[in-house]
Amino acid sequence: MDYFPDAFWQTLGLTVRLAATTTIILLVVGIPLGWYLASARHRLKPVFEALVSMPLVLPPTVLGFYLLLAFSAESSFGSWLNSTFNIQLVFTFSGLVVGSIIYSLPFMVQPIQSGFESLPAHLAEASYTLGKSRWTTLTRILLPNIRASVLSGLVLSFAHTIGEFGVVLMIGGNIPGKTRVASIAIYDEVEGLNYGLAGEYAGVLVIFSFLILLVIYSVNARKPRLL
Amino acid sequence: MRIPIILFLAMLLASCQSDSGPAAGGPNTLVVATAANVQFAMADMEKAFEARTDFEIDAVVSSTGKLTAQIRQGAPYDLLIAANRKYPESLIASGDARGPVQTYALGSLVLWTTRDLPVGLGMSLLDELGPGDKIAVANPENAPYGTESIRALRARGQFDRLQSQLIYGESIAQTNQYIVSGAAAVGFTAKSVVLSPNVEGNGQWITVPENLYEPIKQGVVATNYGMENHPEAVQAFLEFLFSAEGQTIFRDYGYTVPIGD
Repeated sequence: MDYFPDAFWQTLGLTVRLAATTTIILLVVGIPLGWYLASARHRLKPVFEALVSMPLVLPPTVLGFYLLLAFSAESSFGSWLNSTFNIQLVFTFSGLVVGSIIYSLPFMVQPIQSGFESLPAHLAEASYTLGKSRWTTLTRILLPNIRASVLSGLVLSFAHTIGEFGVVLMIGGNIPGKTRVASIAIYDEVEGLNYGLAGEYAGVLVIFSFLILLVIYSVNARKPRLL
Repeated sequence: MRIPIILFLAMLLASCQSDSGPAAGGPNTLVVATAANVQFAMADMEKAFEARTDFEIDAVVSSTGKLTAQIRQGAPYDLLIAANRKYPESLIASGDARGPVQTYALGSLVLWTTRDLPVGLGMSLLDELGPGDKIAVANPENAPYGTESIRALRARGQFDRLQSQLIYGESIAQTNQYIVSGAAAVGFTAKSVVLSPNVEGNGQWITVPENLYEPIKQGVVATNYGMENHPEAVQAFLEFLFSAEGQTIFRDYGYTVPIGD
């Protein structure tokens, strides 16, 4: 047997796949949402902002608990998903993706929103005056000016999903190759008194977290006000 | 600045599509929900079974109570190897598993410490502890070994006096953490734990007299999921559990093996 068992790479691969899938979906969701929140003058805006930021303060087990109830085959939502689309969200990888999207939502939306807010209003107005559409304004004018914020949202969402524990524990079920991500595997190996393997997972995550932050701060050094 | 984002996105996309190693949950893979106290014996059981058959085993380890709750919620576990008979029987009652529940092993309790305590005293060792010394027990609510530990303390009339010194692990596995780390001076755990290669020679242990608690009959049951998706593998594994080879593994880990049930 190799020094690292197959299960070690399988778990790390799964963890990266979960974080990558979540981050890409969050990017697609986060740009319009962040843009909307930055430009909205609506009376209900604080409500939306509070909802987006909820996962920051809620214990992940609370989120996991509600997701478990919602996704369960016994709930009306869960059974509807199952019978209509043949999708099962509890104890599956897709379920983890949905949970992670909610869990990491503020880490994508908040940097993007503050990026948009930091842009002077006349930037967009000038573009509209020159007859550019909202789409062109967004993709050619606004987004290129908040690249650092977008990068920050990407990196933070990715890293936060890698470190996810409570939600996965509640709705994942710890199945090797499907829902056992690195943070769960550490817990599992410690429970099984395999301190060696737990230490290796933990070491990988420590190095990874350091590298992620190193990227952010290096980019920061070139262009301030990223974090 | 444009390069890092595009690079990062490309990396993300690539890793989204990448397959995470060997295929899991194939038709030949059994997912076995395993009570925490059995995990060490299961590791040997897995190796022996995989060597003999074409099936593979993935063990999911937790407390019996949690595994049962997950199966009720539709977790794709083929079998439940429990720490008692009550939980697998409840799965049959709720229609999530198909009987019968079979007793595959009887578990024993031990007192385990990593400190330099006079374990020769047996249960009286607990009377020698200082008031600040903690005694680790698995949660009696959802861990059968915890229930029986409390029963043994009561049978010896030690419970009322020692109650304030008890700390509760959420499963036998967390109880082991408390003991191994020295957070608890001593604790109750399964004999299968102290006999596992992971902790051999770590601290000292002594068996709890068997007349102080009810025998811990550990039951196994096939879930509906297992019977529908992997009937052959489930059958093969159940046969293996009760074969001479399987029962020898349980005996090596300190279990008493059943003489019919």
